[in-house]
Amino acid sequence: MQQHEIHHFLLRYFHANHCEILENKPGYLVIQLTVELDKELMNRPFYWHYLEKTGGVANPMELTLITNPSLAPDDIKGEIIHFGSPRLHQIFQSTKNLAGYIRLYENYEAPPGTQTALRPWLGLNLRISYQCDRKKDLFKSIGLHLINGQMVEQFHDKLLHLSLTPKIPDFSFTLSPFIKPQSGVMRVANFLQSEIEKEDHTWADEARLRWQKDLQLLERFYEDADEKGESFENEMTALQEQYEPQVHISIVNGGLFYLTDEAIS
Amino acid sequence: MTLQINFDATWQDEFQNRIDNDGPWGNWDLFKLTIEVENQTVIPAFDGLQVDKHLSNLTPLPHQLEVAEQVVENMNGKAILADEVGLGKTIEAGLILKEYMIRGLVKKALILVPASLVSQWAIELNSKFFIPAVAQKKSYVWEQCDVVVSSIDTAKREPHRSLVFEQNYDLIIIDEAHKLKNNKTKNYEFVQSLKKKFCLLLTATPIQNRISEIFNLVSLLKPGHLGTETSFYEKYKKNARSLDDDEGLKELVNKVMIRNRRQDTGIEWTKRHVETVPIHFSKEERALYDAISSMHREGNWMTDSQFSLMTLQREACSSREAVFYTLRNMLKKQEQPSVAFQQKIEELIGLVENIQQNAKAQKALEIIQQINDKVIIFTEYRATQLFLQWFLKQHNITSVPFRGGFKRGKKDWMRELFQNHAQVLIATEAGGEGINLQFCSYIINFDLPWNPMRLEQRIGRIHRLGQKNDVHIYNFATKDTVEEHVLKLLYEKIHLFEKVIGELDDILTKLQFGSINDHLIDIFGQSASEGEMRIKMDNLTSMIEFAESVKEENQHAAT
Repeated sequence: MQQHEIHHFLLRYFHANHCEILENKPGYLVIQLTVELDKELMNRPFYWHYLEKTGGVANPMELTLITNPSLAPDDIKGEIIHFGSPRLHQIFQSTKNLAGYIRLYENYEAPPGTQTALRPWLGLNLRISYQCDRKKDLFKSIGLHLINGQMVEQFHDKLLHLSLTPKIPDFSFTLSPFIKPQSGVMRVANFLQSEIEKEDHTWADEARLRWQKDLQLLERFYEDADEKGESFENEMTALQEQYEPQVHISIVNGGLFYLTDEAIS
Repeated sequence: MTLQINFDATWQDEFQNRIDNDGPWGNWDLFKLTIEVENQTVIPAFDGLQVDKHLSNLTPLPHQLEVAEQVVENMNGKAILADEVGLGKTIEAGLILKEYMIRGLVKKALILVPASLVSQWAIELNSKFFIPAVAQKKSYVWEQCDVVVSSIDTAKREPHRSLVFEQNYDLIIIDEAHKLKNNKTKNYEFVQSLKKKFCLLLTATPIQNRISEIFNLVSLLKPGHLGTETSFYEKYKKNARSLDDDEGLKELVNKVMIRNRRQDTGIEWTKRHVETVPIHFSKEERALYDAISSMHREGNWMTDSQFSLMTLQREACSSREAVFYTLRNMLKKQEQPSVAFQQKIEELIGLVENIQQNAKAQKALEIIQQINDKVIIFTEYRATQLFLQWFLKQHNITSVPFRGGFKRGKKDWMRELFQNHAQVLIATEAGGEGINLQFCSYIINFDLPWNPMRLEQRIGRIHRLGQKNDVHIYNFATKDTVEEHVLKLLYEKIHLFEKVIGELDDILTKLQFGSINDHLIDIFGQSASEGEMRIKMDNLTSMIEFAESVKEENQHAAT
């Protein structure tokens, strides 16, 4: 992420959270936090607790974020934000927390006098992590048609082309799902599982080989000892944790999307 | 073999909740941002380092990044980092820790370092790597903080010990790991019983001196890598000196150890200027020295009193205070001192009292005033240290003392004082292992340590990464004393200062002469007289000269 991308990202984050942007200049931003966002980011639970008890006037903080120290004026005092800074990762995490679940409707302008049927989709964005003593991730976005069971990949990208709204538009009605959202999640999980099983698992085999090798060394080390004892068990567990190949699937966010027939092709 | 696939179900439970309660639902803009963030933070490959993208306050050097990559990709996260002093082992360890944290392979990490370095480690991890490392001060820290820095001595004691064992650490880093070379110690046992998923052992001294040390250290990291204790010692002689004796073993060790040398790094180091400063005794000082030197001709009463004549000679070259202190102790230790002994001591004390000024201190003062910048003075003796502090104060020069025995906080504080307020730091030990003083570029060796490794450590405090200036080292040697002989024999003949010890050791071990350090301890520790010392020293010198000629030949052959 380049510095200007970070700047743009921050702007959108605070916008989406209804914070007033007091200053937006090259290299820095000044933001008036809302009460909600102050609680989310500033980590001062005692202050908020105290306010609740005393009924005082809430005074959320102002935040100055410097996205490019060479562009920002020298006298600006604030936090320098770059890709590794804890504040940015806190905001990343907060974005995720605030938008974990969603329900949206396609805003389709139907010809006057007609009613539009919107079909239910389950949209899931997932992270698949392949882990042994090393790790890599894969992002997947999957949509499941909750009536006919059709499954679509890169679902999120397709949604980006549509106009979506949180309230059901006039002259539209939703069809009830045949597949319950809960079992829809399981369908997606099973689908991914079978996809992953079909993949090439050389990385896992190699990890197991490394594991086996170290295990043999360990056993050889303790072969003279009559009583292998706790440290042997310890080392065994450590090796398992170090090498055992695993895949973790976790849902980043997702929700229900009511879309027209033509929306997803 | 089937692969274990875990599906995290936490999301869907809450999903059902939201459906049942008709919300609350997230905001579409934030939802989209989340996916953008996700695409930024997903790491699509096993290979390569992510860490450099996350650092803004630090530009790692190429050799440091190489080490990190090597450890993660080829050594499976278990390694001995054995770079020479001053190449930034802390940075390398920080890079590896950070890389694992970014990839989500490490959440909890335990960093065990000497007590004097605890806060420095915590500060560096926080400021350079944005790793929220906490110095262990209260016992709740073990449970509540993910990255904890502590000393082994604290961690191994109750109530900490049990708490440490309750934690599930993903990575353990141990600094100054050469202290764990003996597998019979409590510290070794403690580290051995820790669960080590990923583990880094940091050491500055090449562990090539004794084969048993290598075995113990490697077995701590990766038990079985060098076989069992019995099989190992059957194969290799227990007292074999060097790793290089056996190519196979060397190769095996290199699988778990990385060692960069200064010359491998391709970094332009600032220069070292070494100057020998001859000191001339005053008449009174000479009288004391001669009186001490003549003692061994006067019967054998000294052997009973268990002190080495050489110690006194060396002290006489340092300060009258140092001599006085030892003499007084000698007298105290004897329960029933003979009259002759008492008389002799009193005679010497008389000579001590005659001395009005310290020739070395005068010279030091002159140099300090001339430099007009920060200076570190090293001395072997506490009495000299105290004297120098007093002496400099008389001449309006601010100084702070530094000793290995200081507690962690005091060391930090003294370093701070020296950096910001005082001109001179007077240290009795290179003991501040890992204490970095690269903001200073002058060292006065008020007296020389008999062990050249210690000397290298002294210089290593300032001649390290981050040193911007050339480094100046002044070696004081009093004319016509044992000190001058040593300096001549040892430091000048071998050109020790211009070299890094490791290099010489390499040559010597290749020729199976053993480690230079062992030789020196033998020469200076065991010799009964200066004569014996000189003969042994000559012997060593010729060995070294031979070794160097071999090295040159090799180089010619190579070109």
